[in-house]
Amino acid sequence: MSVAQASLASLLVLTLIAQAAIPSLRVVIVITGAALSCLLVTLLGLGTTHQLMAELPWDVLILLVGLGLLSEIFAASRLFGLLAVRIARLSQAQPRRLLIYFSVGMYLVSGLVNNLTALLLVLPILHILLKLMGFPQRYVSWLLGVLLVACNLGGAATPIGDFPAILLLGSGRMTFVDYLRYAAPPTILSLLGLLALVIGFVRPQRSVERDALTSRLSVAIMGRMYRGVRLDRRRFIPAALLLMAMLLFWTLLPPQSGISADLVCWLGVAVALLINLRYGEDLLRTRVDIEAVLFLLSLFVMVAAVRHSGLFAALSQLLVRLPMSPQGQLAVFLIAAGLLTGLFSAGPSMAGLLEVAHALARHLPPHVVYVGLALSVCAGSSLFLTAATSGPMAQALTERAKLCDSHGRPLHFGFMEFLPVGLLSFAVIQSVALAYGWWFSR
Amino acid sequence: MSKLSSALVQSFAVAATELGFCSAAWLFAEQVAADGGDAQVRALRDTLGRTYPVLDAVCASWLDGERQPVVETAAVLHALLGARTLVVVGFESRFLDALLPQLGDREVHLLSSGHVDDLTWGRMLANFDPAVRSIDLVSFQRLAGSQTALLCMVYGATEHAVHVPPAWLRLFGDDVRAQFRSFVGWDVLRRSMYVYPRWLVEVPRHDFARIV
Repeated sequence: MSVAQASLASLLVLTLIAQAAIPSLRVVIVITGAALSCLLVTLLGLGTTHQLMAELPWDVLILLVGLGLLSEIFAASRLFGLLAVRIARLSQAQPRRLLIYFSVGMYLVSGLVNNLTALLLVLPILHILLKLMGFPQRYVSWLLGVLLVACNLGGAATPIGDFPAILLLGSGRMTFVDYLRYAAPPTILSLLGLLALVIGFVRPQRSVERDALTSRLSVAIMGRMYRGVRLDRRRFIPAALLLMAMLLFWTLLPPQSGISADLVCWLGVAVALLINLRYGEDLLRTRVDIEAVLFLLSLFVMVAAVRHSGLFAALSQLLVRLPMSPQGQLAVFLIAAGLLTGLFSAGPSMAGLLEVAHALARHLPPHVVYVGLALSVCAGSSLFLTAATSGPMAQALTERAKLCDSHGRPLHFGFMEFLPVGLLSFAVIQSVALAYGWWFSR
Repeated sequence: MSKLSSALVQSFAVAATELGFCSAAWLFAEQVAADGGDAQVRALRDTLGRTYPVLDAVCASWLDGERQPVVETAAVLHALLGARTLVVVGFESRFLDALLPQLGDREVHLLSSGHVDDLTWGRMLANFDPAVRSIDLVSFQRLAGSQTALLCMVYGATEHAVHVPPAWLRLFGDDVRAQFRSFVGWDVLRRSMYVYPRWLVEVPRHDFARIV
C-alpha cells in the first residue's frame, strides 16, 4: 500500500470512527475530514479539489433532497397519521396484529418516502397506543425494533426508498425497473421471515396480559383523538399524482433518452412545490435536510479522494484474486459489507463498497452484486441501533414519550433493548442476501 | 368488585390530556359500563376516582342514572352574543365538538397552555381544522377588544367558587378583566367533586360574568 493510499484510507477510517463515536458532532467531523482529504490529495499531487468535486454524484443528492421534500408534502397532508390510526383500529390493539400490521405498513411507506419522515409521523401515534395499553418492556422492545428493521427493508425494496438504493439508481448501474424487480422480492422474503421468527419463536406477545377492556378502550380513545382529522386533499392529490407520474417516467423512459432519474425527480418535485406556492417556498427554505446533504457530500469527497489514490482498485483486485469461486468472493464481500455497515452505518459503507462492487460485477451478473450489496447494507443497518439514522431518532422519540408499563415502570428503547432484534434481523437479512447471491450466480 | 387493569391509570392520563378530563371520563364510563355494567363503573370509580376527581364525579353521575353529559350549547351561545372573537381556555373535545359548528363565522382561538408538546397540540387542533387557531399566553392580549369574549371550561360551581384549569390563573387578572368583552364559564361537570380537585384550581365565581 502506497503512502497516499495509507494516509487517505486512514483519514477516512478515523473520520468514520470519530463520527460513530461522537454522533452529536458527526457533521462537523465529516466536514473536517473531507477538507483534510482535499488537502492531502492536493499535497500528494493526486488531483485538485475541483477534480474531486466534479466527481461527486450530484444526482444522488438531488434525488435525496427532492424525495425528502415530497415526503414533507405527504406528511403535511396528514397521510401517515391517518394510516397509523387506521392500522391501530384494524389491529384492535391486539399485540400480535399490532406487530404485523405496523411492520407491514412501515415497510410499504418506507419504500416510497424517506424513513425519517415516515417514522417521525408514525411513531408518536404508536407511542400513544403503547401508553394506552401499558405493554411490558419486552414487547415494546421487539415491536419498535421490528418496526425499524421493516423501515430499513422497505427502504431497500425500491430504488427511491433509502440512500443506498438511491445511490445505485444514481450510479446508472441498474435501471429503476430492474432494481425493483430484483430487490423487492428478497426484502419481502426477509420481512416475512423475520415476522415468522419473532411471532413463532420469540413470541414477545406472550408477555402481554390479555385485557379486552383495555384494548377496546384504547381503540375507542384513538378514534376520539382523530375524530375530526381529515386527509388534506389539496396537498395529497397533486403530490400523489406527481409521484405516480415520476414512477411512470422512471419505469418507461429509456436510458438513451438522456432524461435521467434525478432530472425526473427534480422536475416532479419542482412542480409539486409550485402547486403549493407559499408552502412550497417554506419547505424549500426550512425543511431541506441540510444535515444529511452535508454529511453525504463530505463522505463522497472522502471516498473520491481514496478512489484517486487507487486503493479501491487495489482492493477490488485483491477481492477478485481470492483463491475461490466468484460466488465465494461475493459471499466474502457481502458479509464484509454487512459488518462494515453495522459499524459505520449505511451511507459511508455503501459509498465506499460500491466502488469495489463494480469489480465483482464484471464477473457476475450485475444485479446479483448490487442487490446483494443493498441487502447486506440493509442487514448491517439493522444490526445496531446506531447503524441507521432512524435508530437514534426512534430512541429519542421513545424516551421523550415517557412510556410506562401497566405497573407504572418506565420503559426504554436503547442500544441494549434493540440488540436482540438487531442480531436476529442481521442474521435473517444477511442470510437472504447470501442465498440471493448464491442462487442467481449459479 | 370487578378487577380493572392497572393500565387504565396511565390510559386515563393520556386520554384526559388529549380529550379533556370530562370528555375522557364520559368515554371511560361508557366503555367500562358496556363491558361490565354499573358494577364495573363503581370499580372504575374506586380504582381511579381519587387520582382523577372529574372521573370520580362523572362515575357518580353515571351511577345516578345519567348516561351522557349535558352539553348546553344554547346557553353558551346566548352568553357569547355580540362577540366576534372567542378565546377558549381549557380543552374538552366533546363540548367543543358540539359548540364550534354553531359559532358561525366567529374567530375561535384555543389557548395553548404548554401542558402538551407541539406535535400533540397540533394533532388536537387538527380535529377542528380550519375553524380554530392556536394562541398562547404571551400573545393572547393581541385579541383584546370589546368584541372578544373568553370562554373557560369550569368543573363544578358552588355559590362562591368554581374549579378551572390552571391556565386560567396565568391568564386572568385585573388588567385582563378590563380588556375583553366578557368572561364566560362553561360548567361541563355540573356537579361538585367529592374528592379533592387535583389538577384543577379553585377561583372565585365572580371572576366570570356568567356561568352556564
